[in-house]
Formats: sequence, C-alpha cells, structure tokens
Amino acid sequence: MTEPRPDCRPVAVIDIGASAIRLRIAEIGADGVVRSLESLQQAVPLGKDTFTTGRIQNATIEQCVKALRDFRRIMTEYGVTREDQIRAVATSALREAENRTAVVDRLYMSTQINVEVIEGAEENRLTYIAVQEVLEQEGKRKVKDAIIVEVGGGSTELLLLQEGRITFAHSYRLGGLRMRESLETYRAPADRVRSILEQHIKRTVDQVHRITPVDRVPHLIAVSGDAQFAASLLASDWADVRVSRLESAAFTALAEKLVPLPVDDLVREYRIPYQEAETIGPGLLAYAHLARAFQVKELIVPKCSLRDGLLREMAARGAWTQEYTDQILHSALALGRKYEIDEKHAGHVAALSVQLFRELRPEHQLDQRFELLLQMAALLHEVGNFISDRSHHKHSMYIIQNSELFGLTRRDILLISLVARYHRRALPRPYHTEFQTVDRDSRIAVLKLAAILRVADALERNHLQLVRDLSFAREKNQLVMTVHGVNDLTLERLALKEKGNMFEEVYGLKPVLRAARTSREVSSGG
Amino acid sequence: MDKRAGLASSRGSGVPAAMGRTGRGGDAAPTKAGAATAQFLNRELSWLEFNARVLEEALDPGVPLLERLKFLAITGSNLDEFFMVRVGGLQQLLEQGKNTFDPAGLTTSRQLQEISRRTHQLVADQYGCLLHELDVLMKAAGIERLAASQLDPAQHEYLERTFDNEIYPVITPVAIESAAKFPLLPGLGVNLLIRLAPVRVASRRHRYAVVPIPRRLNRFITLPAKGRHTYVLLEDVITTFAHRLFPGEPLLECVPFRLTRNADMTVREDQAGDLLGQMRGVLDARKRSACVRLEVNDHITTTALRFLRTALHVREDLLYLVPGPLDLAAFSALARLPGFDDCKEQSWSPQPPPQIRPTDSMFDVLTRQDVLLYHPYDSFEPVVRLVEQAADDPDVLAIKQILYRTSANSPIVAALARAATKGKHVTVIVELKARFDEARNIDWVRALEPAGVNVIYGLARLKVHAKICIIVRREADGVRRYVHFGTGNYNEVTAGLYTDVSFLTSHEDYGADATTFFNTITGFSQPVRYKKVEAAPIGLRARLLELIESEMLRCQQGQKGHIMAKINSLVDAEIIRALYKASHAGVKIQLNVRGICCLRPGVARLSENITVTSIVDRFLEHARILYFHHGGDALVFISSADWMPRNLDRRVELLVPVEDAASRQKLIDLLHACFRDTAKARLLQPDGRYVRAEPPGSTKAFRSQAAFSDQARAAAQQAQRDRNQTFEPQRPANSSA
Repeated sequence: MTEPRPDCRPVAVIDIGASAIRLRIAEIGADGVVRSLESLQQAVPLGKDTFTTGRIQNATIEQCVKALRDFRRIMTEYGVTREDQIRAVATSALREAENRTAVVDRLYMSTQINVEVIEGAEENRLTYIAVQEVLEQEGKRKVKDAIIVEVGGGSTELLLLQEGRITFAHSYRLGGLRMRESLETYRAPADRVRSILEQHIKRTVDQVHRITPVDRVPHLIAVSGDAQFAASLLASDWADVRVSRLESAAFTALAEKLVPLPVDDLVREYRIPYQEAETIGPGLLAYAHLARAFQVKELIVPKCSLRDGLLREMAARGAWTQEYTDQILHSALALGRKYEIDEKHAGHVAALSVQLFRELRPEHQLDQRFELLLQMAALLHEVGNFISDRSHHKHSMYIIQNSELFGLTRRDILLISLVARYHRRALPRPYHTEFQTVDRDSRIAVLKLAAILRVADALERNHLQLVRDLSFAREKNQLVMTVHGVNDLTLERLALKEKGNMFEEVYGLKPVLRAARTSREVSSGG
Repeated sequence: MDKRAGLASSRGSGVPAAMGRTGRGGDAAPTKAGAATAQFLNRELSWLEFNARVLEEALDPGVPLLERLKFLAITGSNLDEFFMVRVGGLQQLLEQGKNTFDPAGLTTSRQLQEISRRTHQLVADQYGCLLHELDVLMKAAGIERLAASQLDPAQHEYLERTFDNEIYPVITPVAIESAAKFPLLPGLGVNLLIRLAPVRVASRRHRYAVVPIPRRLNRFITLPAKGRHTYVLLEDVITTFAHRLFPGEPLLECVPFRLTRNADMTVREDQAGDLLGQMRGVLDARKRSACVRLEVNDHITTTALRFLRTALHVREDLLYLVPGPLDLAAFSALARLPGFDDCKEQSWSPQPPPQIRPTDSMFDVLTRQDVLLYHPYDSFEPVVRLVEQAADDPDVLAIKQILYRTSANSPIVAALARAATKGKHVTVIVELKARFDEARNIDWVRALEPAGVNVIYGLARLKVHAKICIIVRREADGVRRYVHFGTGNYNEVTAGLYTDVSFLTSHEDYGADATTFFNTITGFSQPVRYKKVEAAPIGLRARLLELIESEMLRCQQGQKGHIMAKINSLVDAEIIRALYKASHAGVKIQLNVRGICCLRPGVARLSENITVTSIVDRFLEHARILYFHHGGDALVFISSADWMPRNLDRRVELLVPVEDAASRQKLIDLLHACFRDTAKARLLQPDGRYVRAEPPGSTKAFRSQAAFSDQARAAAQQAQRDRNQTFEPQRPANSSA
C-alpha cells in the first residue's frame, strides 16, 4: 500500500548557546537540499552562570533538561530519534564551565542527547559553512574580501576572507552576554554603561586588528541574532531576502541609539525576548567598532546561524565539498608560510602522500577526511624547522597543536600534529603522551597516515621534486613503486630504507623503489 | 421605517447616556470626567443595544413563530451571562471602591444605573413580547401554556400524579429561621418562596421557606392532548401542590424568584499548578459569590419582597419584577419542539463545498489547492473529515489541535483519541477557561488522556482563543503539514448555528507558522518570528495598527484607502483611535460589528468616513474577516480575535492572511454582501442608536444570510451536475505526490 519512501531524512540540530537552547528540525532531501521544518528556542541562562560564577548552576541544568526533553518530544513527532539524526553542540558558555563534563553527562542521562562541546574554531568552521551557502546565492556580487565576524554571547569568532580564501581564523573571548554580565557584576551605573562597554570593546578590537594580517577590508559579514535584529530595523526588505547589505554609518548610528536603552525598553519596543535584548547593545557596538577599525564600508548580514552550518554538514553526510577542502588546505599553507617552510617540498610530499593514500585504499580503508588530514600533515610536517632543525618533528607537533587551522576540530588538529610528529625518527612509544591521549581508532589512523607520509617524504628526500611519475604494483609482500623519468634513485632508496620500516609494520608490505627502464611502461595509481 | 424599527427607536431613548469623553489606553483606562465631546460609546450599553437587536428578531412578525421564541430565549440567556460577568465585574469594582471613569466618561456607579434602567426597559419588552405576542400566536398554533387555574379535573389529576411520582421525591423545602440565615442558593435556578402564617395568631412574625427547583426536572410539563401541545410550568405545578410540603400549615403565598450571582472569579493560576483542580474550585466558589440580580414574579406581596431583599442584600436597581415566567432562556427547549414545522424556518442545511467531492481524500484536495469554507452555509464536514482521515492514515505522524468549547460526543475528539491509540503523536491544548463550559470541558478531557493524547491545560495567565489544527504527514517528497485555521470552535453543534470561516491549506509557510505558534503556546519554545501569521498577545495589536496606519498613509499620499472589517466586538480604544485617524485622513472604513461597538461612527471631523452595521439574523454572525485595500493589492485576513483589549492583550489569538486568490476573493465577496444587507442589518447612528438599513428605493431587501445559503446550495448542485456529466479518471488512492 504505502509507496516506498525516497531518501528524505528528517534530522535535528540543537545549539546550546549562552542564553538559549535552540532546536531546528529539518529534512534533507535526496538531492541534499535542506528544508527547515521547525525552529524552537528556550531561554536558559548558561552564560549568566558561567560568566559570573564559572560553573553552571543546578537549576540551570534542570532548565536545560526540560528544554531538551520538550525538544525530544517534537523531534519524535517527525521521526527523529536515532543518534545519527541528531547533532547537538554547545558553545562558549558550556565550554568554559568548570563542570562541563558533569553537565554533558547529566543531559545525556536524562535526555539521551549527546551534547558535543565545540571549540571556537569548530564554531568558526560551521559558521563559515552557513555563510558560504548564503553568499553563494549572491551570484555576481559574491564577496571575496571580508571579515566574517560572529559576536556571540560569550565569544567572538573571526575569519578573514581574502580573494575568496580563508587566510586567518581566530576566536576571542568577547561576547555580548559576557560584557552584560561583567557590567552587572561590577554594578556599573547606567550612565557609565556605554563608556565601560566601549573601553572593553576597544581593547579587544585593537588586539584583533593588530593580529589580523590586513588593516582594512571592504566588507564585514556579521553573523548573529543581534546583527539580524539590526538588519530587520535597517533594511525594509529584510523579510524577503536572505542577505542584507547595510551601510556602516547607518549601522553604527543604530548601535549608538540602542546601546543606552534599558533592556526592558528594548523588549517592550521591539517585542523581542529578554535574553536577546540583553546582548543587542554590546553586540552591535562590537560590530560597529570592528567596522570602524577595519574601515569597512558595508556590513553584510546573512540570514543564517550555526544551526544552518550544522544542517548543511549533515546534508553532506560528512563529505566535504571541494571548495571547502580548498579552504582548509589554504589555511594550512598560510600557516606554513608563517613558519617559512619549503613550500615546493611540502606541496610535493603532500601530492605523493595523496597518491599513496589512494593507492592503498584497500589496505587502510580510511575515508576521504583522512586524506585531507594526511595532506595537511604533509604540508606542515616541517614547520618545526622554524624553531630548530634538531627534533623538528616534535616542534612541528606542538606548533600545529597550538595553531588555529580553519575548518578543523581540535581532534583533527591533534591527529595532524601526530602524523607530522611521526614523519621521522621514533615510532610511537607507550610514553609518548600525546599519542596515548587519542582513542584507539585514531591511533591506528595516525600510524597508517604517518607510514605513508614517511614513504612520501623519502621519495622527496632531495627536495627537488624529481619523483613525479609513479606507478604501483603489489608483488608478494612488496609494494613496488616504479618511478618514471628518474634514473638514479640511490638517495631515495637510502631514505626509504631508513624510513620504510613503519610502512612495512603497518601495511605488511615492504616498499620497494624501481626505476622504469624505458620512459613509460605501465601507468597506474592515479 | 417599519414597525419594528419604531419599536427599537422607542427603546433607544436612553442611549445618549452612553456618551462620554476621550479615554486613554484600553477599555479599562480611567479618565477624568468633564465636559467634552464623547468619542466612545459605553461598552455595556452598547452590548445591551445588541441584545435589543436580538429582541427585535423575536418581535419581527416576518420571522417564524418558534424562531421568534428562540430569539427571545437567547435574549434571556444573553442577559444571564451579562449579569454574571459584566454587572458582576462592575459590582466588584464598586465594592473595592473603584468608582472610576470608563472611556465613555461614565463612572462605575453611573454605568450600573444606566444598565439597570436600560435592562428594565428590555425586560419589559421581553415580557411584552412573550405575553402579548408569542403566547397568543402560539396558542393559535397549538402550543399553549396553562395556568393552574385553567386546568380541568383530568389535567389536575394528571399533574397530581406527576407531582407525587416525579417531583415530590426530589424537592426539599428549606425552612428559614430568619433573613440572616437565608440558605445558599445556586444562581440562575428558579426557586419558590413560600410564606406561612405565624404560628400563633398573636405573633406578627411570618415564617418563610424556600423550595429550590432542581434543574434536572423538566421545566415544561406536557399535558396529554391530541394534536396540540399543552404545557404547565413546573413552578406552577409545585405551587399547586405546595401545601403537601407543609401538611396542616396555611400557605399565605408561594412565589417564584431567581437570583443571579457574580461569576467573575479570578482564577489565580500562577499560584497553583493544578489548573484542573482549581477550575473545580471555581465551580464551587461560584455558588457563594454575591447576588447581582434578583428576578421575582410581580405577584409577590410587599411583605415577602421586603423579606427577600433583606435576606439577599439586593439593592433596588438589581431587582426585576416580572409579569411572566422566569428564566426565559429555558424557552429554547420549547422552541425546539418536534413538529410544528410551519412555525420554524425552512432548513438551510450545510452544503458540501463544490471543490471537494464526498469521496476525496482531504490530503489530495489540500495538496491541490487551498480551501476556504464559510460555515454553516458550507458544511463543516470537510474539517471533520480531515481529522478523521488523519487519525487513520498510516503516514500521519502527528496531530496538534487546540480545543475550546467542544462537545463530548464530538467526532473530532473521537478521532484524536483513535489517532493516539494508533501510535500517532497527538497533542491537544485544552482551554478550561471557556467561561460556562468548564464542567463540560473537564469531562471530555478525561476521555482523551487514557488514549495516550498529550493534553496540555491552557496557558498560565493567557486564554487560548485561536483555533488551529495541524496534521504532520510524511509524504513522498518529504514532510507536509496540513493546517486548519478557523474563526470558530471545533464544535459540530455551534458550527451549525454560527457563521465562521475555515481556511485549510498545506502551504509550507502556514505549516511552519502554525507549528511555531503551537510550540509557543505549549511552552516548548519562546516566541519566534512568524512568516505569515501574527499572534496575540505579542504582535497582533501592533500589526493591526500598522495595517490601519498604512491605509492612512496611502490616503495622505493621494491613494485610495479602504478598510473593511467584520468582527463581533469593537471595544479597544487604541484601535478605535487609529480608525478615527484613518477616517480623518480620508480612508473609507466599513465595519460590520455584530455586538458591542464603542466606536461612534459618522461624527464630523472624527469619524465621518466610518460606517458601522450590525447583522442579527438566523445564524449568529461570528466570523472575523479583515480587508485592507493596500493600494489595490488587497490584504485579506481571517482572525480569531475581536478588537477588544482582552483579546489583543490577554488572549492567544491569530491573524491569518489569506493569499490564495480564490479564497481571498470569496472573503471579499462575503464582506461586500454583508455591507449590502438591507434585511437584517442595522446601522449604528452617531448617538449610539441602531436603525434598520433600508433597501434603496423600492428594491427588494437583500438578506445576506439567505443569499449565502442560496449560493452554497446552487454551487453544490452545480458541482453535482458537473460530476454526473463527466467521467472522471479513477485516481489511485494515495496520489498525494
């Protein structure tokens, strides 16, 4: 009777922010198009707790439990029940709470919703995914140079877009609610609110401006509820568009007008929830200052949020678009340049690594994400040289670990750093603490990737990018790599002997180099 | 002007008292009295004028006899509610020492005086209508009320048996020791006050007893008679045999009386979680609340009356001496008497809407098109069908509905319970605060919960008045939501008596808005912005003001400005002021306000461009429809909200734009028809009086309700003919894609 259901997946994303928990239920069509079905939000004072006392109070936890239980009920109505249909993330307010683990566990126990506390960088990445989707639809007017800024309740995420590439990403502890709370903690008198806020914002903005690689950008893409509120007041067509462009001057004037208004007045006048009214003043002021510092002409407000990013990612089922992969690789390259790596060498090792990764797919069984991680590790394996040639693999590890790479989670970055660390010298040992902190699957992945990186690095021992044309064959327990166009492979063979042991241990194949007799015999590998 | 209108104007003499001066804020905002032009009409007096219009229908010889009786009964029950709620409320205000001014410039005590004066006139007219017109005509038609003195011996014997077997066992006389120890009688019931002679001849102290007449006894005792309906009132039967209750005592007097108690008990729900328990508390508390009206048969002696007034603490102005039977509302039972078809209206039976075939799946229909129904001309059946089909459809995931004043044996309630037992997620918001239906509400709710329906008991502090039903269904191309927005309740009985609009759609934005709205009132979510609809108490008032203002701005810029609105009540001072401003700017404003209207139309430099009509006809006008010209691209809405402060500020209401071209046109046509009515429409005059609309020249009067009924029937017949003439390809059963 019932016709077969095509692939329409109902999913839900939950965003636990500083002042509210928000749910979006959506449906992902067979074509990957996301269709929103319901949006819900409940006010929860997580930020108030964290930014004043450092921990989430029990009463607040119970409010979260209640909200998530309500959400769970609505999700069930749409058949969203399995864990793979739900993604719940929490941002700065929970991230900075001392008792975050206890909170997450309590939420899981009572609601079976697994809340993932995400880092600023991850927030940044998700925001970018959301923004990118909206901006793509702008067509010709696509913005290529801009700062993308999300002034949230507890943190500000900033991305620098140059020539359509992300060249810089950073997260700051500047947030609308955080500012509001500190004002209240110090019982700032009403007439001084404005100047205290300004000083605070100015300090952070100066710092942002100093460390961002450019002094001025034409556009500021403002992503937050506060910014959308401003757009709804300034743009007459706000209801009908997905993106609004606002002149800096008008935006600043509005911010100046709203900052001194008491929260109660905002609620009454604009019919918005209290928790939103609390952050509007500081939030808009922060954008206005950033706009001034970077001499921005136009603010661009897209109608999107972290939740759109989460949904878009779920729609892609974890597979990253080429554009997005390019952005990530570009951020690695930008980091590499900062540490003066040999770009040609790094790029070549990366290319060889990819070739090997693809050839060995039957053996390692790793998905495409790991190819990207390997590429990143290859690009960055020598950043440690900036500090010292001795033990540069260890320097590489901690430089990578302590960098913000756009688009990657902390865990991804940790894996990349480990792969880079094991590109030479010692194999993982029980006393290598970083290696031991990751889970078993990740450890195995690190071994598989590092083994490839070592072979690729050996093939590029002379830093001259000679080994370009490779073909592969498996003979008995050997992986025979036939090199075309190079006659003398002595140096490479020596390097392989030194570095190939890990590959043999991991894959059970001994890597062997062979020079092709004629210019070209077989072509495979790809 | 015909005879009826003459009657109306003769009663309208007291109306100028409704004049007052400018108020501020909502209807409750006090203003300083003083000499000034009155911008507002007093809402209580305006309401009484509405009841007077209903009474006109009872007096209208053009209306079939039993319909006239029905209208008379309605004026009775209307007055009962008015006294319990409005007079009760004013009385409470006064007792709390709040003798403030209303927007019309009347103090609370002045309002009570004016109400009393106008109501006394109305009551006189009610009884004039019953005793001098309807009784006479009914007797001629074969329906006759006999007084005890008119009984023949056989009838007397029959009644004696009835008294012995059915009445005597269930009545209990209560002796009254003194006026201070008067028993606590429930409001609205008929009682008999019995005065007994003093025990000793020397004593001057009369003795009294009260016989409360149980409400479950039939008020009208039918006497055996062939081809006629002869009846005696229950209180007359008891009076006839009352001596049996006091054996050996001489009865000096036996007189019926009825009291009305204040019902406006504030439910303090924010202090107690269990709303249900609290409501039961209210039902009990109502018995103890103050007396706001005493009705007594005018045969009462001054001795007995003095006693009664002392015992019940009734001021002069709250006393109504009536020359006929008490509790006219009860006569609605007589109006429904089987047979006597000559005395009743011809049936205007609800018609199947032409765009929906009887066998259609409502899901298919709504996937194809939006549907707008105007009840009761269009049948309510498609709405019921939608819920019933949802209950049985394997692809339906969830049903969410707001229920308010529904009936216990409602097929919708049954369908919801069935859906829940079939594993669908069914959420029902039940509004327990529907004033006089509380007992009924609680009963059917009890039936839903065991079936697994998630029942949510209203919202703290806010009454949910919006009518909405959402069905979430999984379909081939994804989840689709089917939504019903209504201006009336999900009650099949009232759906046959009230005019209401249903708008059914599966349009995505409406579905999203409807679920958002639902999540807000269940407390699952804070209010988030809507795409199309607007909801009270958050945005509806502002949206209305914005719509009115934008017509005004267009007018000021030389465009045409035109507003049409059909609502039940117009009280809100802020909205009225906005309408005045718009009128002043040249916007043409046509209002069709069935009941209370505090706006004063047609006043120079204030409201010269505003006309207000009111239609009182066979069906109770209940739909709320709004039209804004909007530069030619008209915006048309349906709404659950009247323009009263309580609806805009303290209730959960919806304003729903109707954008579908055919549906929108149907609403516009409907509004035009209402304003064309010259049969049952009355025009509100600047002084607060209502005057019947006259057909222009010698043309025939246009009766909008009859026209709607004819149209619906013609459309249904046409559709039937079309169907018979075409062979339709058989559609697969499940062709929603």
